[in-house]
Amino acid sequence: MKTSKRDSALKLESRQVGPATVVRVIGSAGMEEAERLRALIEDLVTRQVGIIVLDLADMDFICSLGLSAIISGHIKCRHYNGQIRLLKPQPAVLQLLETTRLTQLFPIFESLDQASKA
Amino acid sequence: MATQEKTTAIPSDFHLARKAEDELLAELARRGYSKGSLFSIKLALEEGLNNAIKHGNRLDPKKIVELSYQVSKDCVVIRITDQGSGFDLGAVPDPTSDENLEKPCGRGIMLMRAYMDEVHFNADGNQVRMMKRNT
Repeated sequence: MKTSKRDSALKLESRQVGPATVVRVIGSAGMEEAERLRALIEDLVTRQVGIIVLDLADMDFICSLGLSAIISGHIKCRHYNGQIRLLKPQPAVLQLLETTRLTQLFPIFESLDQASKA
Repeated sequence: MATQEKTTAIPSDFHLARKAEDELLAELARRGYSKGSLFSIKLALEEGLNNAIKHGNRLDPKKIVELSYQVSKDCVVIRITDQGSGFDLGAVPDPTSDENLEKPCGRGIMLMRAYMDEVHFNADGNQVRMMKRNT
């Protein structure tokens, strides 16, 4: 497991689950942390990772900069038929995704097993 | 608990803006604001401060963002002012339309309006005033 960790409101932990790279997003993806999320997603997309699962079960906040990082990754990975999937967003985050209609862009899963399938 | 008023001048820096934001959110938490209200206010603050720093002040560290607020147990009024030349509110596209969904940017104002009870911009476009009732 690779961990991107600092004394910060955001922790990112990546691991492989079957064909998917699962990124556990822990804490707050706000304006100060969004760039780290962007950099990690960018790295995965550059390596053409086919299935990127963002595990949001422990992410209690995201702002538009965090959303921008995910959307940018979505656009780039589409070029190689990759996909970003969202796993178990907390209710407030799910409502935010619905308010922004980003539920139209990203498949949302409640089970890691389903989210990580090819 | 009496109404608290505070004004802070923040250089155009996300870390310093976050410290000011945390101070306000801590005050609201002390006054018993609900978890839902705190989420909404945090989101609107982040969007407003990000817009002021990134778009208004163009990340110029010499430019200041002024954050002022009045907090009571029932509601909070927040003003964010940047030193930029403003913008045309009417020219901001709808980020929820089909043609704009995949655009990485442009959601800040929509989110402020969705999550706060009142949002007003001054005529110059360099100040936003927002109000949220504790629910």
